[in-house]
Amino acid sequence: MSDSGPRLRDVYITGVGAHLPGPAVGNDRMEDHIGRIHGRDSVVGRRALRWNGIRARHYALATDGTVRDSNAGMTAKAVAAALDDAGLGVGDLRHLATATTQGDYLVPGHATAVQAELGAGPLEIASYQSVCASALMAAKGAWLQVRVGEAEVAAAAAGEFSSRWFRPGFYEGTALVDPKGRLATEADFLRFTLSDGAGAVVMEPHPREQGLSLKVEWIDLTSLAGLFDPCMWAGSTRADRADMASAWSHAGPTEAHAAGAVALLQDFELLKIVIRAWIGIWLEKVDSGRIDPDRVDHLLCHYSARSLREEIVGLLENTAAMIPEEKWFTTLPETGNIGSASIWVMLEAFMKGERPKRGDRVLLIVPESGRAMIGFMMLEVV
Amino acid sequence: MADDAVADTLRKLAVVFADFEQRLEATPLIRKLTRGRFELADYHAFLINLRQQVKDGALWMSRAASNIGEDHLELRSTLMKHAVTEHRDFRLLETDFVAAGGRLEDIQQAKKNVGSEALSAWMFHEASKPDPFGLLGAMWIIEGLGSIKAKPWGLKVKERLGLPDDALRFLLYHGDNDVGHMEEFREMLAMVLPDEAVAERIVTTARVTARLYALQIEEIAA
Repeated sequence: MSDSGPRLRDVYITGVGAHLPGPAVGNDRMEDHIGRIHGRDSVVGRRALRWNGIRARHYALATDGTVRDSNAGMTAKAVAAALDDAGLGVGDLRHLATATTQGDYLVPGHATAVQAELGAGPLEIASYQSVCASALMAAKGAWLQVRVGEAEVAAAAAGEFSSRWFRPGFYEGTALVDPKGRLATEADFLRFTLSDGAGAVVMEPHPREQGLSLKVEWIDLTSLAGLFDPCMWAGSTRADRADMASAWSHAGPTEAHAAGAVALLQDFELLKIVIRAWIGIWLEKVDSGRIDPDRVDHLLCHYSARSLREEIVGLLENTAAMIPEEKWFTTLPETGNIGSASIWVMLEAFMKGERPKRGDRVLLIVPESGRAMIGFMMLEVV
Repeated sequence: MADDAVADTLRKLAVVFADFEQRLEATPLIRKLTRGRFELADYHAFLINLRQQVKDGALWMSRAASNIGEDHLELRSTLMKHAVTEHRDFRLLETDFVAAGGRLEDIQQAKKNVGSEALSAWMFHEASKPDPFGLLGAMWIIEGLGSIKAKPWGLKVKERLGLPDDALRFLLYHGDNDVGHMEEFREMLAMVLPDEAVAERIVTTARVTARLYALQIEEIAA
């Protein structure tokens, strides 16, 4: 049978890297890093931590608010670590795809800053920006670059520096703080959820000669942005966020800040609906045969199984679509939720540990509440 | 195996419900509610338009029960019990409407909207067939709405309009999205499955019901 289409190559993850800034910070000390609004302890912090189950995280901010690294700097370190893990150097890289929620600058794209911090020569780059799922957007881009023969070595990297968004200066003097000095829950909850770090993977058209590689079977992303208002966002107030004319850039930076539009916010009621939408897409994948839960040996999910409410777990069990918890691998409790970087930080820990065996199928799932999106990546250990 | 057939059908139904919920979220009325633009007139219109379907609900369920053959007496009993439990619920909508400042005759004399007409005609048509097991799919959609969506909507209406609980009893009372609800539904499915044609009919009926129900909500204009 002749193949008249483009010849597609198999693609392998040959290196994984992670960078976590500074020492691990426990729950009791985290407010020393992100700061206290008007000097007062948060009222929702404990509740947020109980819900997300995070016990430790890393910050690129010192306790006095001093910035110890940049998003680009951390991302570049993760790329260097992944290249090193693959037995390659920066000079071997042909395509750099980066993901982040917010780069250090507004303009130009994050990939330019990462390339510069990496000290890389002329290079093809691509900047992907959203929230957590941007990691898999970049991965899909890098994967296709190698798959179609455009690049021999591609890296997909993701970095986050969330904590600098959580400093009191982002909130004090804005409409997000009430007359008693309490920060609105939709802003405060995220301060106890997200933290800093970076991760990266290197892809090549052949597995590594020694050690384990991961063959990329497929990457699927589905966004439902056309159906939902923003669920986690920055750049508009809660009330006006569905109206693009309310964007911070229209009001101007000073007015937007005063209105509370320059802060990361989350709508928790909408989140419950978005979670059901993620589950709907998951069930569709199972129903169509794209994913057979019985054939997944390890699940790395950027979401904690413990955070799923009873009725969601019940639904998954009743529809033969639950992957039993012993197959889940996560570092969320120890490394925190690092947004887009989490999935690579988890994959790095997974590959360095004892669990992966040749022939195992590894499924990555990255849900993003942003405007309702979810990504899946199927890998096989080779 | 009955368990596998039930799980397969439930999974397809869950996918239909997810799509249904997303469609509802994008309707003008629910957009107003979630975007903080919901007015008392919207709540009145919501109650008026819900009443039609709620009033018909117990009736088509009774008709469906009367068309279930003697091989499925247990399912017939379950449907009859459901019909008894729900056949006065539309009165609750009327008292909510009055407690929210509406006039009783306005809600009682209102006409069905285009979506309600289509939904009602469809339900009675299906219920009139012998062994109308496909209607389990319709129950999945309508009861799912009651157990998953009603209460959060009620709380939002309350927050937005500052109404007392006795003006919100229908939405708030429908209550909790509990695991028991799912168990009961599984038992009903197990009474008619495994049967490929029935499973397919249940999912199709859920899909059509979801579309027509969403049309009913789309058609609400204050």
